[in-house]
Amino acid sequence: MSAAPLLQVEDLKTHFALGTARPFGSGRRVLKAVDGVSFSIRAGEVLSLVGESGCGKSTVGRTLTRLETASGGTARLDGREILSLSQSAFRPLRREIQMIFQDPFASLNPRLTIEQTLAEPLRIHGLAKNRTEARALIAETLQLVGLDPQVMERFPHEFSGGQRQRIGIARVMILKPRLVIADEAVSALDVSIQAQVLNLIKDLQRDSGVSMLFISHDLGVVRHVSDRVAVMYLGRIVEIGSRADIFERPSHPYTRLLLSSIPRIVPGRKRVEDLGEPANAASPPSGCAFHPRCKFATDICRSAQPLAQPLGNEHFSACHHIAELQKDHA
Amino acid sequence: MALLEVKDLAIAVAVGGQLVPVVHGVSFTVEAGKTLGIVGESGCGKSLTSLAIMGLLEGSQVRITSGSILFDGQDMLTLPAERRRAIMGADMAMIFQEPMTSLNPVYRVGEQIAESILQHRKVSKAQARERAIELLRLVRIPDPEGRVDSFPHQLSGGMRQRVMIAMALACDPKLLIADEPTTALDVTVQARILDLLKELQDETGMAIMLISHDLGVIAETCDDVAVMYWGKIIETAPADELFSTMAHPYTRGLMASIPVSDREVERLEAIPSRVPMLGEKLDGCAFHPRCGRARPICSDIDPVAIAVSPSHFARCHFPGEDQA
Amino acid sequence: MATIGLIWLCLVLFAAVAAPLIVPFDPLDIDPVNRLAEPGWPHLFGTDHYGRDTFSRSLYGARMTMFIGVGSVVFALATGGLIGMLSAYFIRLGNFLMRGIDVLMAFPALLLALVLMTLLERSVTNTIIVIGIVYATTTARILFGMTLKLKREVFIDAAICSGAGHSSILFRHILPNLISPLLVQASFIFAFAQLQAAALDFLGLGLPPEVPSWGNMLSESRIYVTRAPWLLIFPGLLIILSVFSMNMVGDAMRDSMDPRFKDDIAGV
Repeated sequence: MSAAPLLQVEDLKTHFALGTARPFGSGRRVLKAVDGVSFSIRAGEVLSLVGESGCGKSTVGRTLTRLETASGGTARLDGREILSLSQSAFRPLRREIQMIFQDPFASLNPRLTIEQTLAEPLRIHGLAKNRTEARALIAETLQLVGLDPQVMERFPHEFSGGQRQRIGIARVMILKPRLVIADEAVSALDVSIQAQVLNLIKDLQRDSGVSMLFISHDLGVVRHVSDRVAVMYLGRIVEIGSRADIFERPSHPYTRLLLSSIPRIVPGRKRVEDLGEPANAASPPSGCAFHPRCKFATDICRSAQPLAQPLGNEHFSACHHIAELQKDHA
Repeated sequence: MALLEVKDLAIAVAVGGQLVPVVHGVSFTVEAGKTLGIVGESGCGKSLTSLAIMGLLEGSQVRITSGSILFDGQDMLTLPAERRRAIMGADMAMIFQEPMTSLNPVYRVGEQIAESILQHRKVSKAQARERAIELLRLVRIPDPEGRVDSFPHQLSGGMRQRVMIAMALACDPKLLIADEPTTALDVTVQARILDLLKELQDETGMAIMLISHDLGVIAETCDDVAVMYWGKIIETAPADELFSTMAHPYTRGLMASIPVSDREVERLEAIPSRVPMLGEKLDGCAFHPRCGRARPICSDIDPVAIAVSPSHFARCHFPGEDQA
Repeated sequence: MATIGLIWLCLVLFAAVAAPLIVPFDPLDIDPVNRLAEPGWPHLFGTDHYGRDTFSRSLYGARMTMFIGVGSVVFALATGGLIGMLSAYFIRLGNFLMRGIDVLMAFPALLLALVLMTLLERSVTNTIIVIGIVYATTTARILFGMTLKLKREVFIDAAICSGAGHSSILFRHILPNLISPLLVQASFIFAFAQLQAAALDFLGLGLPPEVPSWGNMLSESRIYVTRAPWLLIFPGLLIILSVFSMNMVGDAMRDSMDPRFKDDIAGV
């Protein structure tokens, strides 16, 4: 697995200008939603971004699809920089980077039939010569996602959440993209439906060989779909590694906290130590952003931002005390 | 005697002059000091059931069509409105999923807690404030003397849910109904809130009725579990018994659908087809269209609850059949 | 209520269309002998100070009412709608355009209409344009807000990800979702346009005085109001009934599209 990556993201930053603290006040505040994130995704690989709300994982996906404007850093798709392109120059490339959205009820235009929704990307990218050809492609894609092609005459409100999410997946797959960004793609679904859609996503990914950035807060789902996992906390990646590294040999204290917090069906979860709640991204703590909740924190954690430390085999962890923690763990 | 005993509760929604049944006669009990978990997917009627118990369906399109709700020996459905209001919010309290919308943004949290104390107890304002601070301390909010004067927007989601819990505990309830109390929260915060509920139960001896879609949350917190599907309870058992031997195919399917973080599976065993909507018409066993072990009888006759063990019931014609 | 309103509006519409065929007298015919005749036969609504038949003039007035109503609605929705939508979509342009709208909205509606009318000649077209401009401001404000909200919808993000360009997003994805609020807005503008037109006529700044409109009739009646109250009562009543009906119909339309009432079952 040493092929050149399909997507190479380096030092990605997305900052938002917030309003002033008070009406008529001065001094704009900045929300550093994503603040220096680097990772790469190989062809056919699934990388998950996992973290709690407000950690910036969705913003990473939205920045890569140019729904948000990057404040810094680069993202190269097949070696080609995409963040500095103008919107119109980027438009043809949109075919290659597609996005599955979280809310299956909000992501389909209620006024368009399924055929109209699915025909739009075909028309824009000139993938069908005429309506017959478009309909054939749409029918084929609907079957691919497990829907009856006859549904194309209908409107979104006639479908259940799971079916709508399948339509959303069809809209993505019809373009035969090279990178799919799935932003909490199964979070809004009921458990029994979530399993169906997860199986579908996994099958489609494997069969088409598409690369995937899978953004989720659900560690169970992440373990199920990923090849590699990146854990985010307040705009930064704190740990990245293979699925086995993250779930079986977690090194960063935050990753360990996350894993120990999941409610277990098998009894035996230990009580989580009460170390406070995630800080606000608008006013992140100094040094290592995790230090106020970390029981290993020392002076250096409060003053200096830790760099990613290699732990071997593409496993990195951004913690000052990683060496000692690793020793304890072993 | 059980603290709360719900018998054959049926709920219907008025749609265009017609009553569409949505909860089809559920019965369960909550023992004093114990936790009952009600688990099910969206539209199974679990939230309606809890709202019915709290008497929060009045004035809506939803009607209780039959059944009884015995709380502490009194039938809540026949009690005069005044007596019932005295119980609600005092002996029986509720917390909701969304801690932001449940708090009034223009009042300080201390005022809101004091308000709910003053409604039920004859105490002075100063005493109510003292009690509010005490409650904030009880739910482990750091610096309760300072936080009592905070506005809801100044608190994080987890802190707001703690305030909601403090408010619910204001009059030492015997029963706390928690409807998806941690669903809107992050996993690390959720873990703390669940731990807190357990600690508070140990300290106060209150009973908890926990409604959730998350089997993990239910497994961690509950003594007894009721699984709901399409307005019916399809399986009940003590939690440890249920999670070791599931008798109903829906419960088993639900379990197999969850991708867990402890181990890797190649493929999830998803339940096919979709979740039926409340009010939809279904013959026989409501689960038969999605059930792998369905036989002709399943589409004709709605199964009654069959005892799998003295404490374990399942509404299935063939309970526990494909148990390995 | 809305049904009664709708029936009344249909009657007005019928009168407007069929006026030339059904009027008993020419509305402009002067008959000095029968000046200020009381309501009765053959002058159902009586006659005015020139002896013109009030009933016939009222029917022709319905014609004017409809014409001005529809004209101002189309003008207001087209200009206001476009300004509001484009302002919200291209927010930099919006910061500029919407400030202009804010300035116009700082004037009371009638005052704005009066100021504009004094700059222009009295004519049917100018009345429509002026009333249209007045209500274009409120339309722009409302559509600005709604478009801003729609712009943040996930399906718009999805369209962008599909590669949709500005015109496709504006006219294929945003506009169709604005149709129902636009219709409701249209019904209220229609009602207010009638009032506004009548007020302008009454103040002698609307339609040319010889045009038979309810407002002009009202305006002419005031000198004779003690001797011939029917000259005031009939056009006045017609205006009140029509405005009231239009508002009822508008309310009903708004309620029928309000999502709070639609999701009753889905919400439980």
